[in-house]
Amino acid sequence: MIEIEVQYFAVLRERAGTGRETVQTAATTAAGLYAELAARHDFGLPQAMLRVAVNDEFADWSRLLAPGDRVVFIPPVAGG
Amino acid sequence: MGGFSLSSAPLEPERYREALEDPGAGGYASFEGWVRDLNEGRTVRRLEYEAYESLAVSEGERIVAEAVARFGVTRAACVHRVGSLGIGELAVWVGVSAAHRGEAFAACRYIIDEVKHRLPIWKKEHYSDGDSGWVNCERCAAAAHDHDHDHGHSQRASPSPASAAAGHDYSRQIALPEVGAAGQARLAAASVLVVGAGGLGVPVLQYLAAAGIGRIGIVDGDVVEESNLHRQPLYGWADVGRPKAAVAAERLRALNRDVRVEAFEVHASAGNVDELVAHHDLVVECTDNFRAKFLVNDAVVRALKPAVFASVHQYEGQVQAYRPLPHWPCLRCLWPEAPRDGLVGNCAQAGVLGPVPATLGALQAMQALKRLLGLDAGETPALVTVDLLTLETRRLAARRHPACDHEHPGEDVPPAEAPLEREFTTLAEALESGLELVDIREAWERAHDPPGLQIPAHLPLSELMSGRAEFPSDGRYLIICAHGVRSLSLTEHLRSLGQAEVYSLRGGLAALRS
Repeated sequence: MIEIEVQYFAVLRERAGTGRETVQTAATTAAGLYAELAARHDFGLPQAMLRVAVNDEFADWSRLLAPGDRVVFIPPVAGG
Repeated sequence: MGGFSLSSAPLEPERYREALEDPGAGGYASFEGWVRDLNEGRTVRRLEYEAYESLAVSEGERIVAEAVARFGVTRAACVHRVGSLGIGELAVWVGVSAAHRGEAFAACRYIIDEVKHRLPIWKKEHYSDGDSGWVNCERCAAAAHDHDHDHGHSQRASPSPASAAAGHDYSRQIALPEVGAAGQARLAAASVLVVGAGGLGVPVLQYLAAAGIGRIGIVDGDVVEESNLHRQPLYGWADVGRPKAAVAAERLRALNRDVRVEAFEVHASAGNVDELVAHHDLVVECTDNFRAKFLVNDAVVRALKPAVFASVHQYEGQVQAYRPLPHWPCLRCLWPEAPRDGLVGNCAQAGVLGPVPATLGALQAMQALKRLLGLDAGETPALVTVDLLTLETRRLAARRHPACDHEHPGEDVPPAEAPLEREFTTLAEALESGLELVDIREAWERAHDPPGLQIPAHLPLSELMSGRAEFPSDGRYLIICAHGVRSLSLTEHLRSLGQAEVYSLRGGLAALRS
């Protein structure tokens, strides 16, 4: 298990009920972490529609996670 | 002849016209203003024009010079009559010669409009009933209007020399060393297309117009709705039901007369977007839907034009600048799967507080000004998120998506690279990273490794250099040597061959604790 700092934007924040949380996860990749959290928070948005950033850089979903990584899940936003 | 002059004698258009002849001119346009016998229902017998001569001439010359510079015409001139004039007499004459008729007409129109706005010339009308009166010239009317909005300031500040070039006072931005008169001239020469005149578009339009952008195009096919007013304070209740683009254009013209504003009362569509983009230097995308955002994205990528995108959701927003550079990601690079509208909510469904789009719109205006002024030289591509509840901003470095099938300029230039080195403090930590560890030291160097620091995978650099061994081309590797020097050069070499997922252990084994 590693500890990851997760941040949510837009609809993900609403579904999660929080903008950020620290999670203990067995997931090794960003995709694995999203699957785990999507199930927990009932995000309802397919991973393909989102982007993930790790430590302030956009990353691939196959990105391997290291303890203490800061992971941000970002849905596209259209309001104007 | 050229420039501007005042004349107390009757004007002689034929003589002025000859002075504009030029072998390079393909045409000539002129305007004549005549004394009319009727003004606001009263019969006028004759007129008197009185000018503040020195100021009128210097300002008039400036207007003519602006027209020549702005429209690229060959020659231009304007003569204004002063003194007593009868009905039908010529009061003002403008003439322009140019290579093509379009510029000639435009410059001619510009000069007469500006002369009527800006010159300190007053008109006294003598009516048929024997009465007479001074008629406010438009300049005086405009000054009175400005005064109304000054809320107690009794005197209108006189324009500073730095601002006089265009009539609007830009002294506070010209004072910035990075802007200066040259920067202001760049803004005056620039054209910006703003797509969407809503919550984001309103501040974008206001700040760009106030800053003195030469030409602004407003694209919006909607009318003002009551539900817009709380976050789009450019509009008032009396505007409800009117086309947004037209109302916005009207407000911007009142805000800054230097700016040419064009209203396009249409939604951006596949049929019009390329033409709209083609006629502007930069595009600011301010709509509230993905369809329009991707439409504009594709158009600016095709046209190699810079753009600034933004969007908001409740208390947060995102802003992203696009530049037509080889390594620069477009909107599709970030969002390869173009999202469907309605899936993630817009202002109508999700709700929004006015200052949220205002903040993001102000950021867009700033990004646009930075691009036009060349102040973004050191900027790297990123999506910037702003959370107005926590006041946190985050800059997420972005890069081109390899699968983005859009034709970016200079396809052969590789995208921005990940750092070459990774840092770990223990071998265990390095092993947990998910990277495969490869020791490239020579066999003799490995002979004395302590038991806790042994790396099974061994590919001596000498073998790789001689071609007796090959570095595997798939997989993710952490390359290790004694001090991190050889591993770094091998990593650089492999990256140059297109292998993205290789890293060098910074400091080598010497940096690890057993």
